[in-house]
Amino acid sequence: MTDPLTARLKQLIVETLRLEGITPEEIPDDEPLVGGGLSLDSIDALELVVRLEKEFGIKIASSEEARRALASVAALAAYIRERGDPSRLPS
Amino acid sequence: MADSAAPVKVADCGCITAFGDARATHAALLRGECALRPVAVLGRDGGEAVPLALLSGRSLDETAPPEWLVAVRRLHASIPGGGWGSPGRPVFVTGSNFGVGGLYALRRTGEAAFATWGGPATCTERLRELLGWGPDVSIVSHACVSAHLGLLLASRAVAAGLAQEALVFSFDFLSAFVAGGFHALKILNSSFPSPYRVGDSGAIGLGDGAAFAVVSRGRGSWTLAGQSVYNEMHQFTSNRSDGAGFDRCLEGVAAASRGRRVWFKGHGTGTLEAGQLEVSAAGRSFPGAPVVGWKGSLGHTLGSCGLVELAIAIESVRAGRTPGTIGGAGPAMSESVARESFGNGAFDGVVCASNAFGGAHAAFLLCHA
Repeated sequence: MTDPLTARLKQLIVETLRLEGITPEEIPDDEPLVGGGLSLDSIDALELVVRLEKEFGIKIASSEEARRALASVAALAAYIRERGDPSRLPS
Repeated sequence: MADSAAPVKVADCGCITAFGDARATHAALLRGECALRPVAVLGRDGGEAVPLALLSGRSLDETAPPEWLVAVRRLHASIPGGGWGSPGRPVFVTGSNFGVGGLYALRRTGEAAFATWGGPATCTERLRELLGWGPDVSIVSHACVSAHLGLLLASRAVAAGLAQEALVFSFDFLSAFVAGGFHALKILNSSFPSPYRVGDSGAIGLGDGAAFAVVSRGRGSWTLAGQSVYNEMHQFTSNRSDGAGFDRCLEGVAAASRGRRVWFKGHGTGTLEAGQLEVSAAGRSFPGAPVVGWKGSLGHTLGSCGLVELAIAIESVRAGRTPGTIGGAGPAMSESVARESFGNGAFDGVVCASNAFGGAHAAFLLCHA
């Protein structure tokens, strides 16, 4: 069964970055988001971080922290579970 | 692209930073002072306090006309000679942001006066009128290597006989719009920069800066013995991870420095990856050269940094002492990083390097004529 947070993150990635020709389900859990198969760049990462901060109430302090958080969908989900507002997590 | 065949001279040079002119800035750096102060990133609109080095008495908030005009006029008044912008004496205006903060203010307030200074062309035209320049004025803007590019183009114009002397005039004054942009990228945050320091995360500071250099074929005490620019066209905000872009640029001036003992004034903003790539590349092209970076004190003066730091480098050679790298604690990325100031009398030249978004790199070799 798909984890709700993971599913929501994949949906957010596709929506926020207006990815064409790819569905949320096709995004792997453990592939690098930036520089990986999705071909996201640092401006995409910036857009995504802004959206994630708003949606989950997180505050990413530095570019290195952003890079660690965006290592993969799985890493991102773990980061948000640890630091996000629990009331905003999908159930 | 290396350009070492036709050396030209820097006849006059000066700058303004948060510390004052080149002499005051050099003295403050020698004392290890930091000009950066915590300032709300959006000025009157608040936000996280981030390290900024603003000119004395200046706020981050926009005014129309911009209050930084006072500093520009003061700097311009210190340039010897005149007739700039007339045939044979072209002006190259360089910067990365010009008055872009005015456009943000225009959007928020609707006051048309802010539009005058907002774009490179309108801003430069107003400056041309105010400073009395003739029509021969070019705008060169390529992020944080803008000043280097202006210097290169001015040098070529002089070397080719298209100009007797050329004025390169560079400025970048901070605004909430610019600070907010770097803050959104997460490289400007509440941490103060620690250039060339090993750490878990990097951060930059930003600073106001303006500078000029008069490039001449025959007059001057300082020779631009080699200049190099290279754009690796890799990615908008990062470099190739193997440092090849840094190498390609620095190799362009390494040839001109052969047989000379040089010190290396690096870009050194405080970001981790670029800092490591730069200091490693400097070690490959200039083995044994001490590396210094001053943005841990002055902040990154963006498009003006190449000329601002040229003026400080010249002041360092004049005074016989180079300020060390300021900012932070902890181990350095390389043993070549000089934390303390050092006497430079035994050196034959200084390599000044800058890097920019888009994978752009620039460097020049400055020697006493």
